[in-house]
Amino acid sequence: MPPQRRRFPLAVLALLALPAGAAPPVDPEGALGRAAVAGFARAEGTHAFAFPQDHGPHEPFRQEWWYFTGHLQAPGGERFGFEVTFFRFALAPPGSTPAPVGASAWRTREIYMAHFAVTDVAGRRFEFAQKLSRAALDLAGATAPPLRVWVDDWALTAEAGEPLRWHVRARQPRYALQLDLESQGAPVLNGTGGLSVKSAQAGAASWYYSLPRLTARGTLSRDGVPLEVAGTAWFDHEWGSSALSTRQSGWDWFAFQLDDGSTFMFYALRDRDGRRDPHSAGTFVDAAGAVRPLATDEVELQPTGSWTSADGVRYPAGWQVRVPALALDLAARPVLADQELRTRPRYWEGAVQVQGTRGGAPAGGRGYVELVGYAQERCPEAGTGAHRCVAR
Amino acid sequence: MRRTLRAAALRHLWRHPAQLALALLGLSLGVGTIVAVDIATASAERAFQLSLQAVNGAATHQLSAGPGGLDEQLYVRLRRAPLAPGHAAVPLAPLVLGYATLGERTLELIGIDPIASAGMSAGTAAADGLAGGADPRDWFLRPGAVVLPAAAAAQLHLARGAEFGLAIGGVRRSAYLAGIVDGAAWLDGVVLTDIAQAQEWLGAAGRLSRIDVRVPAGEAGRVALARLRALLPPAVEVHETRAQARETFAMTDAFTTNLKAMSLLALLVGTFLIYGAVSFAVLQRRTIIGVLRALGVTRAEVLRLVLGEALLLGLVGAACGGLLGLLIGRALLGLVSQTINDLYFVVAVSQVAVPATTLLKAIAVGLVTALAAALVPALEVSGATPQLGLARSVLEQRAQQVARRFVVAGVLFAALAAVLVGASGHSLLAGFAALFLLLLGVAAVTPAVLRVLALAGARVLARASAVGRLALLDVAGSLSRTGVAVAALGMALTAMIGVAVMVASFRESLREWLLQSMHADVYVSAPAPSGNIARRLDPEVVRRLLATPGVRAHSEARHAVVGSTRGPIALNALRLVPGSDGAFRLTEGEAGHAWAAFREGSILISEPLGWRLGLHPGQSLTLLTGDGARDFAIAGVYREYGNDRGEILMDLAAYRRHWHDAEIGGLGLYLSPGVSAGEIIPRLRAAAGTGQALLIRSNAEIRALSMSIFERTFIITRVLYWLAAGVAAIGLVSALLAWELERARQLALLRTLGVTPGGTALLILAQTVFMGLVALLAAVPAGILTALVLTQVINRRAFGWQIDLHLSVPQFSNALWLALAAAVAAALYPAWRSAHAPLARGLREE
Repeated sequence: MPPQRRRFPLAVLALLALPAGAAPPVDPEGALGRAAVAGFARAEGTHAFAFPQDHGPHEPFRQEWWYFTGHLQAPGGERFGFEVTFFRFALAPPGSTPAPVGASAWRTREIYMAHFAVTDVAGRRFEFAQKLSRAALDLAGATAPPLRVWVDDWALTAEAGEPLRWHVRARQPRYALQLDLESQGAPVLNGTGGLSVKSAQAGAASWYYSLPRLTARGTLSRDGVPLEVAGTAWFDHEWGSSALSTRQSGWDWFAFQLDDGSTFMFYALRDRDGRRDPHSAGTFVDAAGAVRPLATDEVELQPTGSWTSADGVRYPAGWQVRVPALALDLAARPVLADQELRTRPRYWEGAVQVQGTRGGAPAGGRGYVELVGYAQERCPEAGTGAHRCVAR
Repeated sequence: MRRTLRAAALRHLWRHPAQLALALLGLSLGVGTIVAVDIATASAERAFQLSLQAVNGAATHQLSAGPGGLDEQLYVRLRRAPLAPGHAAVPLAPLVLGYATLGERTLELIGIDPIASAGMSAGTAAADGLAGGADPRDWFLRPGAVVLPAAAAAQLHLARGAEFGLAIGGVRRSAYLAGIVDGAAWLDGVVLTDIAQAQEWLGAAGRLSRIDVRVPAGEAGRVALARLRALLPPAVEVHETRAQARETFAMTDAFTTNLKAMSLLALLVGTFLIYGAVSFAVLQRRTIIGVLRALGVTRAEVLRLVLGEALLLGLVGAACGGLLGLLIGRALLGLVSQTINDLYFVVAVSQVAVPATTLLKAIAVGLVTALAAALVPALEVSGATPQLGLARSVLEQRAQQVARRFVVAGVLFAALAAVLVGASGHSLLAGFAALFLLLLGVAAVTPAVLRVLALAGARVLARASAVGRLALLDVAGSLSRTGVAVAALGMALTAMIGVAVMVASFRESLREWLLQSMHADVYVSAPAPSGNIARRLDPEVVRRLLATPGVRAHSEARHAVVGSTRGPIALNALRLVPGSDGAFRLTEGEAGHAWAAFREGSILISEPLGWRLGLHPGQSLTLLTGDGARDFAIAGVYREYGNDRGEILMDLAAYRRHWHDAEIGGLGLYLSPGVSAGEIIPRLRAAAGTGQALLIRSNAEIRALSMSIFERTFIITRVLYWLAAGVAAIGLVSALLAWELERARQLALLRTLGVTPGGTALLILAQTVFMGLVALLAAVPAGILTALVLTQVINRRAFGWQIDLHLSVPQFSNALWLALAAAVAAALYPAWRSAHAPLARGLREE
């Protein structure tokens, strides 16, 4: 992101777009500068993951997100993709700003954002909505246990039990979603013991685990008509206090659920010069649950097409993904070209169809791809132009 | 031929520049005053609308409740509720509003949730404003963080990052300037802060002043509103934002109507001036026009010529008037916004708005005025038989006939005015129409009065001084000149006297009312505009104040604005000290019964409220209490000048029962015998401590303050009437100047007959002074009549209060000085000229 004037509340929103698998874009002189990070916990060393506690919020860290993506099918065969995400962004570490006497219930040091997008494959429609709120009164927040993350009436909750039963609820004008989910496996720690390093800078890392395959069942209402839906979902939970380095401009994130029961996740961090950053990484989990980290040089990514939004933001669309070490050769194709969230900042997060071979045998499945950092470069650096660019 | 005509006309105007300039000045002043008032009121209204848009411009509706505001949990509930069909998001934005004093200035303190406000209206001030540079960490976390508009920051010499003091509800607070907002559409008078900070500063934890809502257009919006209403507790009201804004600004209707009427008066006086100038221009050319007519120029051509001149004059006058209006408007704007701030609501006007219609209006008004004024002389000159032209004698003869007819017309006007007042009920406009009819009536009668008095004077002087007699006969004989000038001056003087008497009467009534209504010796209140939730006294401070030795008894007051089926109404809840009922003079309702009912929970209403809503004892008024709508019986109507929208008086205990608001906004302290306000006030201040800077004032101080606010609100009236008087004075000067110059030959003849230069000068002066005095003489009774209309009709209809007429000599002094000054000014140049002009030239003139 080019150096830009700090803007508010738009600047906050910019910082809040913290998609899975990577850290937020840095604002070199802004709120995310080094000073801002002071006082927050850093993701480094080791962390003894414990569940269900670690599903809850990690307040000493600056940012955190809970990320559901998935594929659903209605009884008539109609297919849907969905994304429900909650972001927590702290302005200051807990305890750093003593509450004034007679403090208002509106006092807060955290802001929450939530996104809900639906890809209606048959209807060729993609609809998204955003919610934003301070973590005050009962407007937004995260608590655990039991887990509850919410903004207004959108919520993610988890019921104690073995296995944990997750519930996701969100609605927008045309679609409303209510899902019950159960993980088919234990949490998968990405990176090294869950530490996902994002750049060479000390502390530029986050704690990151996934539930790469959950069964989902529930109701998707379309224009007021409820549809019983079932399918699979992917859950990511990540927290940290660092930002992208100034050399990095964005990332491409891939999460595939293959029909043979294996899952593949890889994030490619992009440098300003367009090259892939060496800290890009991924995780492969086979059908038996064996976890294999993927280094950047193990994964070949080749865009096979592109899509340009109505106002000229150009995204790659379609990829050839090869992992020679796993004999994996997959083509990923968006189920719908326009799955761009025109939020702040803009990003593309969409359902893809996966087709190819694994070990020479045909392999296929579904996936989600997230493309971040393509839109911002188009914004002028200052003046009202930038404002319009970030606001819309 | 037409070209010849036009050339003759233009050359004539060109050769009489002074006359042209005075006519233009008169018209410009008249048009300018109208434009100025238009600009000043439009700017105030524009600023007011901007102030609403600045916060959540896209909001369609507002939720509000009584004095205590809304419970913030309501906002949380609404955020979670599926309000719109298909569950589209219905943006909601909470607000906590109050006032902050920064140095000498009172600014509106607006507490917002920037995230909610940006969701409500991206691109409006709240969202844009914060883009002005506040670091979100400062905004949310730093105690005292505020954002100021650039204009205010510059005025206060505050740079970003500055720490400074603010007084809120009398308590000094430390603020930090986290950002500065610039942009022309922004308001000058606002301090923005986070909603949490605003709640803390205003002591309003848990409460919201307002929730702004944006519902979609059409059916979806109706459904959303219905769902919203179903979720609201009974005490919460839903208002359409635009209607609310209109209603709020409509509070100033009576005030702005007054202003417009006054500006019209200036124009009316200006009309006489144009009439004088055009008829003079016509008269001077009577010979040439007679010749032209004899040469075959048609009646229509002459008419066109004269009206064409008037049109040109009107256009130029309108253009000059427009420019002048811009200048006067700027000056007036300060006065208008000061008055609005004093009487209605806080509005900061930093921009001059010139509505497109204003300039069109200026041109139209200029043209119509000029044409109307020129019509009579034009018809006259075109209708005359060619040969006679308009021989002076013929004209003067006609003028005398006209003057007689005018007397009849004047009496008719006055009668019509009386009928209008009687028949029009509450209409303020009809009241002003009657006032104008009255003024026109005065103007119509004046020429005849002038003639009668001049002839009578001449008869008296006949033996004493031949020259004096000559002078007065001359005045009577040149009625076409002198009559118009004196009529214009008479009208202006009438208006002046009327206003002076009205203001003085009002002042006297107010003084009496203040004396009567302030029973307590010392009054304590929190410094915030009334009706705001911030206006509350700290209970601990109250306890300490009441424990101060020397305080014998006390009354308690809570001021609030409550909703009703008739719109928001100011409510004054009082716990009276026994025996102080007399502070309220009941004008309707029997006192014994009214006060008994009051203590039982009935309400009393002030005169303006009763007048505005047409309410009387025995009726009831539905108020929105904390438990929903409830009817309150009206036990009486009392005299009150404090609030021109009127107010309700309620027993404090009843108010607390219905609104669940235990706060106190003010105290009235009764002192023990022998204790003076002067000695106890320092002790009270000490007892109050430094926590809350209270307003602790003796009743004498409050009376003085009320009187000074009163004087301030009438400054603008005075300014406008002086403008009208100025136009009239210029009219007199220009008409008399023209007349005297016209008589150069006659004066020269007098000189050859042995009258000294000083003698002719004296003659001229005597004539103008005589005319000035006649104008004054006509204006005195007419002015008193006007004052009666102003107090008993206009003020009653505009505000509902009754004012007793008080007359005293000083009320007439300004009019006297103006009459004399105009007379002397009119005499100066002709006198100098007649004294110095070579006799031969004067004799040759004709």
